[in-house]
Amino acid sequence: MAEERRGSWFGFGFCGFGQAPGSGRGRQVLSPEPLQTPGSGADVRRVSASWSYTALVTRGGQVRLSGAAGGAAGGCSDAWASETLLVVLRAGPGRGAGPELQAWAPASAMRGEPLWARALGPEAEAEDAARGEPPAGALPLLPLLPGARAYVSPRPPFCRALAPELRARRLELGAEHALLLDEAGQARTAGPRESGGRAGAEAAGGAAGPPRGGGGRRRLALGVCERDWGYLYLGLERIRAAGPALQEPGRGYKDDSEGSGLNEDGSEVKRTARGEDGAPAPFIAIQPFPALLDLPLGADAVKASCGSRHTAVVTGTGELYTWGWGKYGQLGHKDTTSLDRPCRVEYFVDKQLQVRAVSCGPWNTYVYAVEKEGS
Amino acid sequence: MAEDTQEPLAGAGALREALRALLPPTKEELALELGENVERSVVQLLQEAAELFCGGCRSECLQASEAILDYSWERLNTGPWRDVHKDWRRVYAFGCLLKAVCLCEEPGDTTAVAAALKVCDMGLLMGAAILGDILIKVAAILQAHLRSGKRPGPAQEPPSMKKARYDPVLVPDMTSERTVPRLHCPSLEHFRKYFLVPGRPVILEGVADQWPCMKRWSLEYIQEIAGCRTVPVEVGSRYTDEEWSQTLMTVNEFISRHIRSEPKDVGYLAQHQLFDQIPELRQDISIPDYCCLGDGAEEEITINAWFGPQGTVSPLHQDPQQNFLVQESEALYPHETHLLHNTSQVDVENPDLDKFPRFAEAPSLSCILSPGEILFIPLQYWHYVRALDLSFSVSFWWS
Repeated sequence: MAEERRGSWFGFGFCGFGQAPGSGRGRQVLSPEPLQTPGSGADVRRVSASWSYTALVTRGGQVRLSGAAGGAAGGCSDAWASETLLVVLRAGPGRGAGPELQAWAPASAMRGEPLWARALGPEAEAEDAARGEPPAGALPLLPLLPGARAYVSPRPPFCRALAPELRARRLELGAEHALLLDEAGQARTAGPRESGGRAGAEAAGGAAGPPRGGGGRRRLALGVCERDWGYLYLGLERIRAAGPALQEPGRGYKDDSEGSGLNEDGSEVKRTARGEDGAPAPFIAIQPFPALLDLPLGADAVKASCGSRHTAVVTGTGELYTWGWGKYGQLGHKDTTSLDRPCRVEYFVDKQLQVRAVSCGPWNTYVYAVEKEGS
Repeated sequence: MAEDTQEPLAGAGALREALRALLPPTKEELALELGENVERSVVQLLQEAAELFCGGCRSECLQASEAILDYSWERLNTGPWRDVHKDWRRVYAFGCLLKAVCLCEEPGDTTAVAAALKVCDMGLLMGAAILGDILIKVAAILQAHLRSGKRPGPAQEPPSMKKARYDPVLVPDMTSERTVPRLHCPSLEHFRKYFLVPGRPVILEGVADQWPCMKRWSLEYIQEIAGCRTVPVEVGSRYTDEEWSQTLMTVNEFISRHIRSEPKDVGYLAQHQLFDQIPELRQDISIPDYCCLGDGAEEEITINAWFGPQGTVSPLHQDPQQNFLVQESEALYPHETHLLHNTSQVDVENPDLDKFPRFAEAPSLSCILSPGEILFIPLQYWHYVRALDLSFSVSFWWS
């Protein structure tokens, strides 16, 4: 296999708090821009973006924040950003000690003491090694903890156990749901049923699944896709029909406000709805079960990431497709239109760049790309 | 003071002055007390928006307001409505307030003012009260401004309550039914002893027939007072149907789409606290005196509007409070009977007697409610309502 060239990161979308790629307030970036990072731009190996700030993790083990939260700290192998909590994985004190999980208030700039810290023990990393070399680029990622026995949540309890038989490989948290991919290539979800998040999936039982109900990260859509296991899974989007103040179907006072657009068999019910400014929303559908992703020209997706209302997907041939809500330029098509079908981000094609990874914040998108060979 | 080179609309300057007078002048006062449910970053953004507003940076303030609206909108749409913390609704209302007022900074632009009113309505419908119910006051000013500025000429129809064609109503077998008794202005004590306490329905005559709404309300009047206001509308023949949905539209749109013309589907402005949103209409109705027989205070009485064409249906259901249903116009066919949960599975006008055999024996009362009449629906009494013609009703839920 050819040696992987060092690529660089690009960003586009909302940067109203001054986070990368923007540098001023109240702005958005409509087309991909290279991230300005001090030192080598190729140094960043992971990006985790929350709404008001972005965390960059460098190969050298530094976590750098930009936006409403600032600062930097070293000795970190991974970071996970949410509005209430910045979680980092740091090398433990002393040799032979396992990594330490730390949770910081974003505004603290990682100075002083973390809100809490927990040693994970050296066995965590040993377990990862024992399971074999993960496919290139698919390092175990927060919120899943090394050893895959537990995961991090932005709400207490911050550290939650996963049932050992789950053998989790990847975990993504949405506002109400969690999506888990195990080593056998099975996807499991947990969360309230009426938003279509559980259709067709087995429940992670007991302490293994994230709790029901509100809380969790501010995401309406989430998705994970791992082609290496031959399984393609599209995140589920739920947009409440016509806004929440319109009472749930029925009359008088309702005891359970679980009105939904789903029939018992999970089939889809179309509804008209309005966006937040009263204008007709561009597309509203509840997709209650996994749907095969249909990309133009038969392209196949190998990686996916979701913001709160948009999705980005990387193909095997190094292209980036985006669709969904585009108001802040998070789709990267040089405008603010929202799209209901995947469209290729031409910037990377024009610049002869091969996209290798994508990571979405709620209203923005970060892309890792390398130059094409022999161009 | 900016020069206004074009002011086709008289009083545009007066509008801006009126709005400015409403809003707190300093950013310290243009603020919300928020709990820990709202993240620091959002509080920061709110403060920044207020600062931009007070500093006169209109377009930057608009940008910040948009972000506030978009973020809080996502919170309002996460999880069940009852779990949405009130602070998020207040944040949303705050965003609406700033956006609405910023939009109106454009002198003489009626589209902008109408858009601003729409934003106010969204804040009223989805948000929660802030700064002393400021959105109601802003909406009133905007509404008055729009009314004075133009004469609405919505449709070419002759200005009369258009009578919908009267389809023969499927009348179920009436032999086993009795009708709801009628009383003319009973005393409080008589009503309490014979109907409220035992939980028996009754139609009260001579109580509401002198309310201002009886003479005043017409489609034209409603459109004049509230035409440009955004309201929630149910679309679909009944809320138990698959194709049923809810949407938002202005009162003008509702009337033109679902009342005046041949509607493609049934639209029903149902169970909406219209009189909180539009206080001008509240003045045309009164609270029935009999409500004082309850334990609750007058402020706790929930008043809902029910406005729609012939054929709107409320499927069989029950409410946990006492209900006075006042008919403002034309005819209504409430039909009551007994069954299990809040909403029954039985289709009253076409019951599946194989599935629900005992429904045939269920005792029931029926009546036709005409303008000026009040139907007392006792707490938890099952009822089914169908509009026989274009109908505007007001309900009072009290305890």
